[in-house]
Amino acid sequence: MKKLSFSIFGFWILAVLAGRLFQLNPNHIDLNAILSLPNATYLLGADDLGRSILARLLRGVEVSFLVAIIVTAVTMTSGVLIGLIAGFYGGKVDQILMQITDIFLAFPGILLAIAFAAVLGPGLGNLMIALCITGWVSYARLTRGQTLSLRNRQHVQAAESLGASVPRLILRHILPLLASILVVEATYSLASVMIAEASLSFLGLGIQSPNASWGAMLRDGVRYMLVAPHYVLIVGLSLMSLILAINLGGDYLRDKFDVRTEK
Amino acid sequence: MIKRFAGFCAVVFGVLLLTFLLIHLVPGDPVEVMLGDAVTVADRAQLRAELGLNQPLIQQFGTYLTKLAHGDLGRSIHTKTPIVELIKTRYPTTLKLAFLSLFIGLSIGIPLGIYAALKAGKWQDLIVTIVSVRLSAMPAFWLGPMLMLIFAVWLGWLPVSGMESNASIVLPALTLGLGLSAILTRMTRTSLLEVLNDDYIRTARAKGLTEANVIIRHALRAALLPIITIVGLQMGSLLAGTVITETIFSWDGIGRLLVESIEKRDYPVTQACVLVVALSYVLVNLLTDILYRLVDPRVKFAS
Repeated sequence: MKKLSFSIFGFWILAVLAGRLFQLNPNHIDLNAILSLPNATYLLGADDLGRSILARLLRGVEVSFLVAIIVTAVTMTSGVLIGLIAGFYGGKVDQILMQITDIFLAFPGILLAIAFAAVLGPGLGNLMIALCITGWVSYARLTRGQTLSLRNRQHVQAAESLGASVPRLILRHILPLLASILVVEATYSLASVMIAEASLSFLGLGIQSPNASWGAMLRDGVRYMLVAPHYVLIVGLSLMSLILAINLGGDYLRDKFDVRTEK
Repeated sequence: MIKRFAGFCAVVFGVLLLTFLLIHLVPGDPVEVMLGDAVTVADRAQLRAELGLNQPLIQQFGTYLTKLAHGDLGRSIHTKTPIVELIKTRYPTTLKLAFLSLFIGLSIGIPLGIYAALKAGKWQDLIVTIVSVRLSAMPAFWLGPMLMLIFAVWLGWLPVSGMESNASIVLPALTLGLGLSAILTRMTRTSLLEVLNDDYIRTARAKGLTEANVIIRHALRAALLPIITIVGLQMGSLLAGTVITETIFSWDGIGRLLVESIEKRDYPVTQACVLVVALSYVLVNLLTDILYRLVDPRVKFAS
């Protein structure tokens, strides 16, 4: 399973590099090739504007990865910080912060991200802002729960009675024990951010044309499904392979670090 | 129970506040964004007054709540129809889809989960587990088009999209229901396996009860709690999933209304849709908690 995960990743990274190397142009329009089937010139066929599906797929995955990494980094940092504060101090601070997370959790799935992206307006930047505003909650919850129990561990109490400062307690004595669970959570969240980005782009709220994105490609693929079923099939299978690889990678890390998830 | 209800009210208040604030997150002047350039200053002033945007924020929130209490969600900027009417026509369509999906999820997930638990460790279990784990990770906008491609385009068994015939609901409901069934399969399997080795199951078997009786009357009842929790939680992703699924299959529910309103920059409608979906979810969660208590009297809403 680990090998499968790594080889799918490796395949996509090589493909993106190869695409850059051969300077595939995702925006080159060839009117004779509109919705053509895979052939020698267009290895995976062409889309509704006669652009190479392969080139757009590769550019799309680049953007998708970039968004996933940035959003995960931002949401993890802010979520962990909030969770640490809530779990460490407890009491009123904890109550208020958890009340806020409760409100965010009242919006199911990506509904809130859709709402934010809708009012902020379409575009890559706003898409990332929307995903960041809504993404920190799960990290905050996870970190808070763990911190709450770690707070009363003997080594933390010992350090505290020896006069360690709060930042030192948190950074040196609590955070390292959270590292493995957070790494696993971050891996899974890469997949969910990619899905969220594709969902928003699918709804026309994310990356805007002519820039390539898998969500927008899927939407076009659905639109031309009757005349060019290969389009939606290729994008769909690519997406599935990547999500599969990330989740398998997450499973591997979870087993390796022996992290118990509450799923 | 009272504490739980207080928490519920606090969350509802928070949801109202957040959805109210949405319109103020629009960069620049929301009225200008909504109406575009091709209108007169008077039109803008009128809309601004109608939305109450020229009042202080606190007062606006007060007006918003008062109107809401009277069942007034405002008017659509685009069609001028009261939003309540739009919700009234669209919401039942979404509910129909959600309930059918739930039904599909339950009727596939629970039997399959029982089967996998009974065959635990054998190859049947392995296949069910692998398929369900992978299926549950698949987003609606992948599963939907694939089902559409197979059953509507290639096999021609079902309509591609729209709502003309009764069969139109099948593909969107399958899209939502299959993902749910995968999660339910895993949950049923895990929670059944946990209770199957308990003493009272052995006692039931020793009494000479049939295997079916042991599983359904004794084991499944105890395993029901985590399943209810998961169903409650998953109703949320089901509701959110309708946004994408309805868009794929041109199903005229509230999700599609939301997407349409976003495309037309009809923010009051967007606001109302988000509010309705979020409140439904909060309500489902409350009902799950209550049901939980009914099924298991040991749970006393401790936290």
